[in-house]
Amino acid sequence: MTRLKFLFLIVVSSVSTVRAAGPVSFNRQIRPILSEKCLACHGFDPKHREAELRLDTVEGATGERDGVRAIVPGDLAKSELWTRILSTDRDEMMPPPKSHKTPLTAGQRALIKLWIEQGAKYESHWAFIPPVRPQVKESGSAAVDFFIARELGKAGLKMSEAARAEKLIRRVSLDLIGLPPTSAEVDAFTAAAANDPDAAYDDLVKRLLGSPHYGERWARWWLDQARYADSNGYSIDAPRSIWKFRDWVVGALNEDMPFNQFTIEQIAGDLLPGTTESQKIATGFHRNTTINQEGGIDVEQFRVDSIFDRVATTSTVWMGLSVGCAQCHDHKFDPIEQKEYYRLFAFLNNQEEPTLKVFDPSVDVSGLTAEFKEIEGKLQAIIKERYAEIANWEKEMSPEFRSKLASAIKKAVEKPVEKRSLADNLALFGIILSPSDPLRVLSDRHKEIDTQLNQGTTTLVMKELPSPRKTTVFIKGDFTRPADEVVPGTPAVLHRYENTTGKNNRLDLARWIVSPGNPLTARVIMNRVWQQHFGRGLVETENDFGSQGGQPSHPELLDWLATEFTARGWSLKEMHRLIVTSRTYRQSASDRPELHEKDPNNYLLGRQQRMRLDAEIVRDAALTVSGLLSPKLGGPPVFPPIPDGVMSLGQVKRSWSVSKGEDRYRRGLYTFVYRATPPPSLVVFDAPDGQSTCTRRIRSNTPLQALTLLNDASFFEFATALQKIIEKDGLEFAFRRCTARKPSDDEMKLLGKLDTLSAARVLLNLDETVTRD
Amino acid sequence: MNDLLFQTRRHFFSQCSMGIGGLALASLLADAQSHAASIAQNPLAPKQPHFPPKAKNVIFLFMAGGPTQLELFDYKPKLQELNGQPIPQSYVEGKRFAFMNTSNGMNLLGNDRKFRQHGQSGAWVSDLLPYTAGITDDLCFVKTCKTDLFNHAPAKLFMNTGSGQFGRPSMGSWLTYGLGSACDDLPGFVVLQSGPRGPRGGAALWSSGMLPSSYQGVPLRNQGEPILSITTPSGVSDAQQRQVIDTVRALNLKQLVQTGDQEIATRINAYEMAYRMQTSAPDLMDTSGESQATLDLYGIKDPKETTFARNCLLARRLVERGVRFVQLYDTNWDHHGGITENLQKHLPGKARDIDQPAAALVRDLKARGLLDDTIVIWGGEFGRTPMGEVREFTGRNHHIDAFTMWFAGGGFKPGVTYGETDELGFGAAVNPVHVHDIHATILHQLGLNHEKLTFRSQGLDFRLTGVNPSHVVKEIIA
Repeated sequence: MTRLKFLFLIVVSSVSTVRAAGPVSFNRQIRPILSEKCLACHGFDPKHREAELRLDTVEGATGERDGVRAIVPGDLAKSELWTRILSTDRDEMMPPPKSHKTPLTAGQRALIKLWIEQGAKYESHWAFIPPVRPQVKESGSAAVDFFIARELGKAGLKMSEAARAEKLIRRVSLDLIGLPPTSAEVDAFTAAAANDPDAAYDDLVKRLLGSPHYGERWARWWLDQARYADSNGYSIDAPRSIWKFRDWVVGALNEDMPFNQFTIEQIAGDLLPGTTESQKIATGFHRNTTINQEGGIDVEQFRVDSIFDRVATTSTVWMGLSVGCAQCHDHKFDPIEQKEYYRLFAFLNNQEEPTLKVFDPSVDVSGLTAEFKEIEGKLQAIIKERYAEIANWEKEMSPEFRSKLASAIKKAVEKPVEKRSLADNLALFGIILSPSDPLRVLSDRHKEIDTQLNQGTTTLVMKELPSPRKTTVFIKGDFTRPADEVVPGTPAVLHRYENTTGKNNRLDLARWIVSPGNPLTARVIMNRVWQQHFGRGLVETENDFGSQGGQPSHPELLDWLATEFTARGWSLKEMHRLIVTSRTYRQSASDRPELHEKDPNNYLLGRQQRMRLDAEIVRDAALTVSGLLSPKLGGPPVFPPIPDGVMSLGQVKRSWSVSKGEDRYRRGLYTFVYRATPPPSLVVFDAPDGQSTCTRRIRSNTPLQALTLLNDASFFEFATALQKIIEKDGLEFAFRRCTARKPSDDEMKLLGKLDTLSAARVLLNLDETVTRD
Repeated sequence: MNDLLFQTRRHFFSQCSMGIGGLALASLLADAQSHAASIAQNPLAPKQPHFPPKAKNVIFLFMAGGPTQLELFDYKPKLQELNGQPIPQSYVEGKRFAFMNTSNGMNLLGNDRKFRQHGQSGAWVSDLLPYTAGITDDLCFVKTCKTDLFNHAPAKLFMNTGSGQFGRPSMGSWLTYGLGSACDDLPGFVVLQSGPRGPRGGAALWSSGMLPSSYQGVPLRNQGEPILSITTPSGVSDAQQRQVIDTVRALNLKQLVQTGDQEIATRINAYEMAYRMQTSAPDLMDTSGESQATLDLYGIKDPKETTFARNCLLARRLVERGVRFVQLYDTNWDHHGGITENLQKHLPGKARDIDQPAAALVRDLKARGLLDDTIVIWGGEFGRTPMGEVREFTGRNHHIDAFTMWFAGGGFKPGVTYGETDELGFGAAVNPVHVHDIHATILHQLGLNHEKLTFRSQGLDFRLTGVNPSHVVKEIIA
């Protein structure tokens, strides 16, 4: 059952409650019907508008056309819309047969009828109205519980009891740091919770939010949205170096950089006054687009494609809007004109895309650069002064000796003296100087600095062009068909835009996104955080807050969270703390008969939700319980073992030389991902492909996953490590490492029948081991 | 909170409230298992099509790189006559090409291939494809296929997903999503590869895009195990493997009983199918039961060698087992004229690689009564230009305005040639057929309305055929 239907059932199951509860809500009840059935032909887009009728505005719907009005508020009989909905005449009925849309259901008709009778009141789309903080006396996590309990109460339901301590610590550890707790941590928490559960839990959450692994876990959440991967994509799929951006995200989240700053630095860090290296690295966000390096391409076509992707990603990630439709035509469902799309495009069309060299913080780059220049000057002077030494050496050289010279030396010798470079001369002096000669000492230092300055890591960043590119509308999104020129700007339906820099550039766009008037961003981000903690957002269509998207299940809670988020200085850590300390979060995840009957899909959250672990965490958890995990943070991506033949699935066979030592056992976050040939054990558990932004992972449940956990060489290796733990510390101990709980006698009996390797393999394959419950 | 933590947990099934005793366990598990089976949602369970279908399965022989229609099927004497002369401006005005910034490639290129009409239907086939020429009366040729994109990776995505952008589901994913799979021990969408390298675009070509990964294409591998992780780890006996799976099931069932989470039921089923796949995949690959006559028909010399011929045989075996969509990629059809891919030295070899096996596949399916239910498709991501490229040898550029594909079985009209190109073979003279029309027609034959097979994402109903109008090509289906 879809959520809309579900909400709908609540609504129509007793129409009398609707009447008693007051007027029909346009936004919650009527707009979805209009959007689904009518607006494709009677909406915002004038090019596809039939009969010049629009139903998305009150003026359009109630205006008189040829003596007829689609809607006459309060008068059903005079409303042509109502007549057409009821009609069975194929030429009259709405929606018409040629639209391939099904007629309105009885329930939908009942709502439309009631709405017209009540005066057909229109409202702006809910998500375009800034959130208003609901007045509740509860604060903090109690406010969350208030809203959840209220809706449950309306359905005659109650929250579930709290999850047991050992399950709770496993759940919150997996959610906040992406790793299961150790048995010692479970024991300590269980003991402390027996004393004072709330205090023990608060301490636990504090510890987890302070862990550097928090940044790793939540970086993956963000990197999905940033469509991060380590190669260029398309057919050639060459490797790229952009992991500094990944480490930047981990670091920013660990230091709890306010989300508004986090946003500005990624969209326009290079344009901030006094921009730092770190802020430039942050602009890698939009360098995660794919690059086509195939022969014979029109480079401009793929540059334009990458801008399309940047527009789509920016609006989906921060605004929860799908503006892509307006690439080719005015949006049919949301009030976004094609021209407005290209005004957004214009912000992102003025960049060059350079590579930035980044050094380890211990390297004094400016000091070394200065010293390098100074030495160079000295070397030039000394060489000039002592050139006679080279001249003599050349004069004394026999032709035979000359012919045996190394090629670099030979080339230098063959050049006329005045054409010889510093490197040439240093090579020549290198032959004749004694080891202690001051010139040689200086030359060695010169070489050393040169090497150091070439050792930095590169990363991809954004840089504004000195003068902007001309941006035009493209007819039907075709870059070969430019039309009217546009300047940067934002859609009129949204909050006010200010050209704060006077330059109308990306920095203005970034500031506009996090400005207080924005109705969307705080809601969209809070919804996505909620989604991580409960498996589903309060708005289920987490990437579409437009009129085609879903309605919030708890609109007041969403607005409360959004306003709390900004009030707490856009602190993600504070919001995590608030959510995970709520009673709502701490509930047991088990189903109950009354919930199963009244709310089988758990929209009302009368329990927590069991969720299969994310792809990387399936790996991380298996590494942890088998004692193999390397906790090393950051650095270049690594190459854990992958099956033979995987890399030959792409056009160009890329090398994969397996990492040695602890790099073999790093977290999944650090595995090198080629877009054309991604690591199978990640893909099979629904890791995104990095081709476009991913705001919610699908959680599939397939035989190939079973085969991976059973037979994949890496998982088998983890099992043999777990086997050793069983042999050393016993079966029960190993069971607890995997599930955090003690096994029952029955479970021990079943496992006890197996040899230790089989038992270890069973433990790694348990649903409970790969599920956060 | 303290109280809450230590309250007795209520169980999902009321009969469990007394706890699970030893004796009761077996019957309880049996109950739970039947419950599990009834509530488990197998995403690949067979589904009803929109209307009665003509075909059940598809085998797509994908000639990766863009095969030349002008040397194989589209006979253009005029081209030979005008060999070396510039193409009239009227043909190319406003057109875009791959390598369009290079100066070579605006002069027409003829060829001296021998073309003849074959069979009752009189279809034109060149001397490069003698076996295909022998089955023309079973084939439906479309000479005027048309696509939108002229670079390999985007055009391959377009042919497979109906869009040049990444992230859309491939045709095989759409079909298994729409129809499920009739096979419960192999994946519903299988990919096979031959040729010197992988196809450009890689895994994106068989991606399920925004659909769940249950519908993703599964590559049958050429080296190592046929399906990744299909083999029990070495040192583990069959009995141990079965015992592991049985114990996992028993423990998972207990969790199912405790939590009422249907995903556990799905996982239990997934492990059972995984176990079946461990047997069925090697069975599939083991062609020792095929007769010598069959191997000869396909031209298979060594069944262990990865060739297009062996893949054709495997395709038949897959379809026999109910696999919905089988896609064969054969690479290196990109004959630009360089030293590694040109029309003189390499095209004849490529044609030889695929000619006998493709024809054999059609004959074999027909002989076994499988052709009625199976659509066989031959084609690439685009065709090649009438203009020649002169590099070290000669070749042709990527061409999107008109190229040839053929279809067999599954209700496609046999012995028909549809569409006609202009005298230079540049564009359609009559009856252009866009890739989206091809998609609509294939879906139609499988009982699916391309406008109704949709998946909602970001508030939009996505479909294989995109937003622009496309139509079922009625003239090519019976």
